[in-house]
Amino acid sequence: MISRVAEHCFWLARYLERAENVARVLDVNHTLLLDFHVPAEQQWKPILIITGLHDYPHEPTAENVQEYMTWDEKNPFSITSSMYWARENARIIREVISGEMWERINYYHLWLKADAREVYDTNRHEFYAQVKRINHLVHGIADATMSHGEAWEFFKLGTYLERASQTARIMDVKYHTLLPKVEDVGTPVDNAHWLAILMSCSGYEPFHKKPKSVPMEPGAAVAEFLLYDAEFPRSIRRCVWECEGAAEAAAGNPVGREPTAAERQIRELLDWFDSRTSADIMRDGLHEALTHIVDSVIKIGNAVHASFFAAEVKPPPRPRAAMSQSQS
Amino acid sequence: MAVATGSVRSAFSLNGHESPTVGPLLFDQYRLHPSAWDELFNRGGNPHDYCGALVDRLGRLHVTEFDNRRASADLAFVNQGVTFSVYADQRGVEKIFPFDLIPRPIPATEWATLEKGLEQRITALNKFLDDIYHDQRILKEKVIPEDLALGSKGFRKEMVGFRPPGGVYVHICGTDLIRDAAGNFVVLEDNGRTPSGVSYVLENRAVMKKVFPHLFQDIRVKRVEDYPHRLRDALASVAPEGAGSPPCVVVLSPGQYNSAYFEHSFLARHMGVELVFGPDLFVHDDVVYLKTTRGPQRVDVIYRRLDDDFLDPEAFRPDSLLGVPGLFRAYKAGNVTLANAVGTGVCDDKAVYPYVEDMIRFYLDGAEPILKNVPTYICARPDDLKYTLDHLEELVVKAVNESGGYGMLMGPSSTAAQRAEFAAKIRDNPRNYIAQPVVTLSTVPTWTDEGPAPRHVDLRPYIITGKSTWVLPGGLTRTALVKGSLVVNSSQGGGSKDTWVLEGR
Repeated sequence: MISRVAEHCFWLARYLERAENVARVLDVNHTLLLDFHVPAEQQWKPILIITGLHDYPHEPTAENVQEYMTWDEKNPFSITSSMYWARENARIIREVISGEMWERINYYHLWLKADAREVYDTNRHEFYAQVKRINHLVHGIADATMSHGEAWEFFKLGTYLERASQTARIMDVKYHTLLPKVEDVGTPVDNAHWLAILMSCSGYEPFHKKPKSVPMEPGAAVAEFLLYDAEFPRSIRRCVWECEGAAEAAAGNPVGREPTAAERQIRELLDWFDSRTSADIMRDGLHEALTHIVDSVIKIGNAVHASFFAAEVKPPPRPRAAMSQSQS
Repeated sequence: MAVATGSVRSAFSLNGHESPTVGPLLFDQYRLHPSAWDELFNRGGNPHDYCGALVDRLGRLHVTEFDNRRASADLAFVNQGVTFSVYADQRGVEKIFPFDLIPRPIPATEWATLEKGLEQRITALNKFLDDIYHDQRILKEKVIPEDLALGSKGFRKEMVGFRPPGGVYVHICGTDLIRDAAGNFVVLEDNGRTPSGVSYVLENRAVMKKVFPHLFQDIRVKRVEDYPHRLRDALASVAPEGAGSPPCVVVLSPGQYNSAYFEHSFLARHMGVELVFGPDLFVHDDVVYLKTTRGPQRVDVIYRRLDDDFLDPEAFRPDSLLGVPGLFRAYKAGNVTLANAVGTGVCDDKAVYPYVEDMIRFYLDGAEPILKNVPTYICARPDDLKYTLDHLEELVVKAVNESGGYGMLMGPSSTAAQRAEFAAKIRDNPRNYIAQPVVTLSTVPTWTDEGPAPRHVDLRPYIITGKSTWVLPGGLTRTALVKGSLVVNSSQGGGSKDTWVLEGR
């Protein structure tokens, strides 16, 4: 398929996934620690930090941060910005995605510009739930109405790559939520944080259905689950593994084909996962590991770009009809 | 004057049952325009005989119910993003092309004549283009003044001696027709470069079918849905030698911020071909390739939706980033078909248009033109210039290379200052202007805040030419939404209607 179109498919998926994840985090944080007295700054500032915003100019109150992360068009990570760019990417490739998919995306774009504000003001939880549903709906429609060809693989690649990054960033909230003392590890506040992170990844029930390798430490168990679980669709290793499949399919699978830079980069991250355990990661520093993952995702994104979207074009040496011209 | 809505009340309603709504019926308060031809009603206020059934069915709707359906049609357009862009800010504002639910009917017999007339016209135009870029017989025999044709901005000397694959120049033509006060269709102009609007014809029809399914069951209307496939087949039929089988056809758009981007995307989607931007293509050894995720793929036919000037920075405007460097070389080497061909602007020139009737006689063995032109004064001719300047108040003056209703003076509604300004411009560059008498365009009942009222319309049928010629039955009926206005262009706030070519009779 056209390289540019593949890129739009990829980014359409990334922006949709990003909007969903921001809504998740805001929603959980909104209801988090209602039972615990945590200073607002401690509760909301990490949300800004994990999106890479270190220079937020205002007081990080609950309302300010939610407003900024939901509505601010100048904030490239806000829900409205992500939805705008998702829709713009979809509009550019309407001839590739299905009509039903486009109509849904367009519908929610119009909804955000009109009725959504009232839902946000009157029923915050419902608003975030609705934003999360947008991505679910579009994925459901895509699955049921779009050809599962190359465009579809790029859509999947974008989804899982963004999700890997988002799960890592959500887990990193824990690091930035400033726990004052080491003794606090394992306290009810600490456990509530981990629970919130699990919920931000929609992993509460799947987690509790799993036997734990470290039953006495909820933090370590949650981390292991979100990093390594092979079945949970938001665990980071699972997401990267899905990326591998999508990248292979997108590149085509003739026997003996050289792997693309994207595939090599993905493989490298999978090897990193497989060369250590969750316990190793916790011991050596979760934040450092998550930073490595986020950086690796950026590298993979660049490799995807180089392999598929901006590939060096090598024209065939002997074009069919131009032969007579070039020989004369 | 009240309009009859049919005297016999049948049990039929558009829902299949009588609506309980009260209030006036749709056409109860419709008042005909004092002098224009009305497309639904005769001067006596009765429906034309060919559209009695249509008026009868629609006329049973209550105004309130009609308005509900109108709202649901509008919503469908909004949700589907059927829009055109307005160049206002960086992100581009998308607007809905206003759509009016009352269709404009054309009887089968009348359509048959129009169809023949349009085919005759496009045949002559294609012969003219071939002649002008080869023997120039029509100039040598002084049917058309040489300086007028060769001095046209649309004339491309680079095309001299070159014959495009299949010998076709204008593959897609949109010819604007109007109906005068006596009810005769006349040609206002031919759009032979990149005419737009056909996507609205198809979208309008789709929405009409959703909103008024019963109307389509009762009244036989000719299908328009074949257009994209006809177009694809026509384009494939004139692929260059050595093209793949099937040939690789693409639609080339200037990009997502172009006002007609919706249409570019629509056509690619419905033709089942790729929509590409300039940077998606490259030329190597005079062959055009598409950049794909798995390497280059040869392109055979390009339905290009950008003007000659922007096609190829090497051949035309060097500052343009929209086109493809080397594309024109590939074209001249015979390795790619461009639709429309380069240089068709010479027949799109409003000062050349007055000669189309002569072209028909000249190229088609003296055949009489089936469709007539609106009388046109060419300011490049001294007598016409004098007449135009003396009668500005009665004329419509148009710049020869403008479209979209820009660069125009509507004499009767102009101010003295506007006329003075135009007179100066015309004197300054007479070649750039033509003038036509104001034709009172026909009207169709159109929904307004005060209910249905007569609004002026024109008609743009679309003519596709590959190995053979095909005319889309109907076309885009554009409506001036402002009372009394004769300007129907979308960029000037016009709307559109579904055009119904009726079967049978």
